Amino acid sequence: MRSLKLRFAIAVARSAGATSKLLGHKGETLPGRILLAIEPEAISLLAQSKEVILVSGTNGKTSTTKAVTTIVSQLGPVATSGSGSNLAWGAANALMSSAPYAVLEIDELHLPSIIAQTDPSIVLLLNLTRDQLHRMHEVKRVADRWHVECSEATNTIFVADIDDPYINYSIVNAINVVRVSFGGRTHPDGAVCPRCGSYLTWVRGNYSCICGLNNKINELKFKKGSASYRNAILANIVGEIVGADPVEFTETALERSVTKEISGKNAHFRLTKNPASWTEALQGDLHHDVVLVLNARQVDGIDTSWLWDVSFKALKGHRVFVCGERALDMAYRIHVEGVTPEVVESVDVALSLATGSEISVLSAYTAFFELVM
Amino acid sequence: MLEIIRIHNELLGTYGDRGNSDVLQYRAGLRKIKARVTDISYLDPLPRSGDIYLLGGAEDAAQLLSLTALRKGSILARAANKGAVVLAICAGFQLLGTKYTTRDEEFVGLGLLDVSTAPGDKRLVGDIAVKSPLFEVPLTGFENHSSVTTLGPDATPFASVISGNGNGVAGLDGAMSENVFGTYLHGPVLARNPEFADLLLELALGTSIKPVEDDLATEYAKWRRALIK
Repeated sequence: MRSLKLRFAIAVARSAGATSKLLGHKGETLPGRILLAIEPEAISLLAQSKEVILVSGTNGKTSTTKAVTTIVSQLGPVATSGSGSNLAWGAANALMSSAPYAVLEIDELHLPSIIAQTDPSIVLLLNLTRDQLHRMHEVKRVADRWHVECSEATNTIFVADIDDPYINYSIVNAINVVRVSFGGRTHPDGAVCPRCGSYLTWVRGNYSCICGLNNKINELKFKKGSASYRNAILANIVGEIVGADPVEFTETALERSVTKEISGKNAHFRLTKNPASWTEALQGDLHHDVVLVLNARQVDGIDTSWLWDVSFKALKGHRVFVCGERALDMAYRIHVEGVTPEVVESVDVALSLATGSEISVLSAYTAFFELVM
Repeated sequence: MLEIIRIHNELLGTYGDRGNSDVLQYRAGLRKIKARVTDISYLDPLPRSGDIYLLGGAEDAAQLLSLTALRKGSILARAANKGAVVLAICAGFQLLGTKYTTRDEEFVGLGLLDVSTAPGDKRLVGDIAVKSPLFEVPLTGFENHSSVTTLGPDATPFASVISGNGNGVAGLDGAMSENVFGTYLHGPVLARNPEFADLLLELALGTSIKPVEDDLATEYAKWRRALIK
């Protein structure tokens, strides 16, 4: 039974959310903020009556959360966070629902606190690589926090992609773990063992350390593949644990991409927000006309130095337009790699100049949402 | 052939500083000067024959591994003594000092610059602009560190801070000798500030190099300077 205070908090939060939506906002953050202001324990109180599943990682959180939601929905109604609303108030907002299941995308720095508050049945850990370093500071700092919380969450089953040494370190002392390995990929920031600080030995996408950390000891092994493919498998493992039937996703279903027709041309937008996701996108198929959109607001990461850790050589031979608030950061970076940028004012201008009818648009976080939402 | 040695990029590559070597090679190429960038990993011996050695920013554990490897044979210090150019950013700069202290331990540095580094009380993150006596224009970059670096009596500051923190003490950034440069500027610093790249090329070649027209580089550097608050 929900307490009077909690019911009051939900009522106020819901009406605020409705008002906010009337004013044209997405209405996902405000209700959660109000709920937590009136009842700071709301997340933990609301989570008690639900089977809670959390999804976190640097890349793939939103699409994998959607996939897990699809799978778990076969069993009953699922409360889930809106696209990218992955901080505490986003979780609080989603948990207000009466659905018996909750599948929540959680920001990396917020994950330990949300695990502690929700005592989740399952936590799916995808990957940890460099992202928003002005906020995260170091990848190891995030992994240290995960490591502590995962060790303490004794009721939770962790599904972990341990090809990422930071993920393996995070769950190394956890009680219930399904360690999943696909092999065949290296880690852009994985030279040092996150557990002991030694130099990791990498051989063909497998690592091992003198302290014993390695990805050869696992519960489930699959063949190697793209991030989208891996995350679909990880989502289905979560589904299997809660008793849902597997759902098949296409090879690209879990990519953050959207196609929009703009003035008679098809613009294929893809979210690219850090070295790992840019690299993944540039390894995929690209149309002749490519638009690169770069911003550097808080969620994009305010420092763009990482552009120099991404190889843009795949763009040689393409016609490349560059725009966004930090267009020149991008333009100079690819210029030095021998790719000629055409700096333009906006994606619309790029599309009007493009000669082909199919155009690839690789876009930073904030720009992606402004362009496709 | 100009030999550019990129030291331990897998360890000292957290903040994009590998771009410094790309810019040096590119700007050498604009003058038809051949330059080769060689990546030296933690497991490789450091070549003695480099003309320019580059070190970048790192996470804490990686920084200590790099220090351990670089201590062997003092190759970097010997190369610098013979006139090789060294550019070290952030964690790399800290390694060049005489002393490097973490919260738990104290380490002897490589001793190329008379500076010592200790943990500060807050993380220093954000855009930074500095004025170095070496250049007419200010240099711009991005800093992200939590240590404070203090100059000893034999050290020359690289620059004074216009905005941001730099060394975190005395309004200074970095330190330098005739051919060794340490700074907290990421960006990468040579991408943001082509005049700095050209200075390093001239020092390494031991001769002046002709100016080049690279409009995009100039426009970029100018735009970043215009953003200085």
